[in-house]
Amino acid sequence: MTFWRPMRMLWRNLARRRRVEEDLDEELRSYRAMLEDEGLSRREALMEMDGMERIKEEVRDVRLGATLGQMAAELRQSLRGLRRNPGLTVVGTAMLALGMGASTVVFSIFYSALMQPLPFRDVGRVVELAETRLARGIGEAAFSEANFWDVRAQNHSFSDVATYHYDEANLTGAGPAEKVTQIEVSPEFFATLGVSPVLGRDFSSQADHGGQDAVVILGNRYWRTRFGADPGILGKTLRLDERAFTVVGVLPPGEPWIDEQTYVPFPHRPDADRSSWEFSVIARLAPGVTPQSARADLQRIAGTLARAYPKDDAGIGFHVEPSSTWVAGATTRRALWVLLAAVTFLLLIACLNLANLLLARGMSRQREIAVRTALGASRGRLVRFVMMESLLLSGFGAVLGLALAYGALHAIQALEIRDIPRLADAGLHPWVLGFAVATAILTGVLSGMAPAWQAPVSRIAAALREGDRQTGSRGQGRLRAVLVTGEVALSFLLLVGAGLLIRSFTQLMNVNRGFQTENRLLFAVTFPGPYRQNGAGKHFLDRFFEDLAAMPQVIAAGAVNQRPVEGLNFGMGIDAAPPRQAGRRAPWAGWRVVSPGYFRAVGLPLLKGRWFDERDRPVWAERGQPEPDRRVVISERLAKLIFPQEDPIGKRVALWKGQGLMEADVVGVVGDMRERGLASDPTLTVYLPYGRNALPGEFVVHTRGNPMAVMPAIRAAITALDANLPISDVRSFDEVVHRSVGQQRFQTLLLGVFSGLALLLATTGIYGVLSYAMSRRTAEIGLRVALGASGGSILRMAMVQGMRPVLAGLGLGAVGAWWLSRYVGSLLFGVKALDAVTYCAVAALLAITALAACYVPGRRAMRIDPAVALRIE
Amino acid sequence: MPSTSATSLLQGTLDVLILKALALEPMHGLGISRRIAQVTGGTFQVKPGSLFPALHRMEEAGWLSAEWGESDRNRRAKFYRLTKAGRKQLKDETDQWARISAAMASALETP
Repeated sequence: MTFWRPMRMLWRNLARRRRVEEDLDEELRSYRAMLEDEGLSRREALMEMDGMERIKEEVRDVRLGATLGQMAAELRQSLRGLRRNPGLTVVGTAMLALGMGASTVVFSIFYSALMQPLPFRDVGRVVELAETRLARGIGEAAFSEANFWDVRAQNHSFSDVATYHYDEANLTGAGPAEKVTQIEVSPEFFATLGVSPVLGRDFSSQADHGGQDAVVILGNRYWRTRFGADPGILGKTLRLDERAFTVVGVLPPGEPWIDEQTYVPFPHRPDADRSSWEFSVIARLAPGVTPQSARADLQRIAGTLARAYPKDDAGIGFHVEPSSTWVAGATTRRALWVLLAAVTFLLLIACLNLANLLLARGMSRQREIAVRTALGASRGRLVRFVMMESLLLSGFGAVLGLALAYGALHAIQALEIRDIPRLADAGLHPWVLGFAVATAILTGVLSGMAPAWQAPVSRIAAALREGDRQTGSRGQGRLRAVLVTGEVALSFLLLVGAGLLIRSFTQLMNVNRGFQTENRLLFAVTFPGPYRQNGAGKHFLDRFFEDLAAMPQVIAAGAVNQRPVEGLNFGMGIDAAPPRQAGRRAPWAGWRVVSPGYFRAVGLPLLKGRWFDERDRPVWAERGQPEPDRRVVISERLAKLIFPQEDPIGKRVALWKGQGLMEADVVGVVGDMRERGLASDPTLTVYLPYGRNALPGEFVVHTRGNPMAVMPAIRAAITALDANLPISDVRSFDEVVHRSVGQQRFQTLLLGVFSGLALLLATTGIYGVLSYAMSRRTAEIGLRVALGASGGSILRMAMVQGMRPVLAGLGLGAVGAWWLSRYVGSLLFGVKALDAVTYCAVAALLAITALAACYVPGRRAMRIDPAVALRIE
Repeated sequence: MPSTSATSLLQGTLDVLILKALALEPMHGLGISRRIAQVTGGTFQVKPGSLFPALHRMEEAGWLSAEWGESDRNRRAKFYRLTKAGRKQLKDETDQWARISAAMASALETP
């Protein structure tokens, strides 16, 4: 009742307006008639009524929804105004659409990468655990298997602790052999995360982890793409590495952790290994336990482990990582924040520009507004009237901007940038739409503010007197100059950001990589279990290398256990034996198992000694065989570090120092390479020979001509050797490098586009303001010319007037960029955030563009014909 | 009694007077105006410029309901009547006025 009655009234007032009005008319008429019945004359009755229309107006004002009705009228009026002024409407809408489209794109990427909640129940209680060896400078490492089981058994802080071990398997028996990821998960892994299968069941800890039945759970994406989302998948059998697994469940979609292809149970083994760090560990905090107390609990366990297993666990500690950082790392976060800031600046520039346009138009409306004021429109109503227009424009802009954003988002997703998390999920989600609506309103209000403020409420008389002549006040000119200053300053910020990123990206692409990518083909072959027995794998590799060497298109070919740039970086402590520098911690170097041909295939130069050859054997002893003669090749930086003053060839080094005793001879020194990607320093690397028990599966082939063209022949050669071997990740080395800098490319591209738009908008702003100012001064300039001023002096005067706000903007922008530079420093490679070259180039670019924008109206002013100008006056 | 007091009619006062005027029977606009003048001894002359906005506002607030009817002289007129909510409002405002006038009286009578 209390709710419905006003609603009904509102409906009646708005929808049955005519009936309500007729009703009021009749009521007043009958009142007057009754007055006359009482003996008043018609005139007296009318006097008593004191103006029928005013009474009606007052009744209308108290009605529910009165404001709504007025606003509808104003809306119609504004729409009419915009239609009469298509230039302003089109330009304004286009500007805002660009700004809003850009900001919507960035926000939707930002939202899906950083804000969208993880698909896990009560995700704030879930943490990731990592081992540390702080004394050795290792702040975050994977768990060893045995340490995981010990933490799981001994902690008092977590309701569940579970592990995730990455592995790969060959899927056979259904079409061509295929490499799939096969994640081994401990009991309750999915329960710890807080997800349940959407189809089928979770692993049950006793039966499945006991290992009696081979069961597998599929990731959602894999289920959809490989099995066409077949609901009848449960109970079917998959052959993974020649073993039959029964499908018992399908996971829900989402990242991270649950988007791999297959998951199998990881059983508890009493003889678990303690030395190899391979296991990711997640845990769910027990109710009432804080992360701080969990850390203390883990510290206690670390002490116990360090005492019990000094060989492997000396100096062990644990690191607790909240789930909020799982999806995006610090650099990605920073990059997305910078882009969001950049796009906000761009939107602000669009607002300033629109405000400028509306101000100019406001001149021609001064009279209309003055008339309204004189007729008693309140200040609030006037402001609403002026703002209605900018709100309408921003509404149009938002609609068009959303369409632009939709297209741009698809284009960006087609780039398949790996380093932007959940990019494929980015879209016009409700939150994103909410953002767009909020932005539209804010934009409309911001750009309407200046014109509304300038509405001549207090100078009605002057405005009316000035009649039709379009003039602007001095204050208005100053306000517009301030807007230009703002635009230039914001553009300066964007251009500096883009300039820094472009310079950084160029440096990155031109950095000395150490390896060669030209005409190099990369692909992976996954060897199933039997290849690791009786030298089958070595036999295969040697025959395959023979086949490759026989191909005329192949210059060199080799294999490595981890793909350069994209692969993992397994490391070891290594030092000269005996150490040349006492008391220093052994350097940490990445190790790679390589075939002899790898160095030539990847283009690493041999600096000293020799490459590996067929005499060299893996450093690991085969079961039942005597210890081998160990030989290694080391990278240049490593050689300089551990043998500062000697020729390292023939010297002995200790491998896996601190974890076991294994000594080897150095037979060669090769160049350094940026193994972990272009932005990381060249790795200290130790190369180990391949062999029967060390099978590298990542191949590098140096080809003549287009590397991808050689792939069919290589495929045929592999199939001829074993048709069941899956070949995967076929890419040219160039593409691998290209992909590895995806995020840098993405942020450089976006910021470049944004700053280009900013420059364009600022230029039109500068041009618009000066041409307007010059047209206002036509008479004055005509007078000056008539009095003998030269064209040059007029041009100079115009340029000075136009450039003054620009120079102020440059100064402000430089200060702002200096202040903001601290936030982009971590995104830059090889460039300082306060790079003088960039700042000067940006200032010059802006100044030259502004000069050009001022030149056109300046030139027009120069050509003013005094006779014509004075006649206008 | 100075007639200027009619112009300083407070909004709340007008509302309570209208409610009071309608307490006995439904009435049309002119009737309400006359009744108010009568019961206040001519102190309050309610002009249509104040009366109609007030009537419509109170109708929308749910205190009054309106329907067309016949006046004494067989004229079609719009009659207002108190709703249940209107009666409650009248009672609340009457109590309030009683408190205020008692307070004022005691304040002014204190020597």
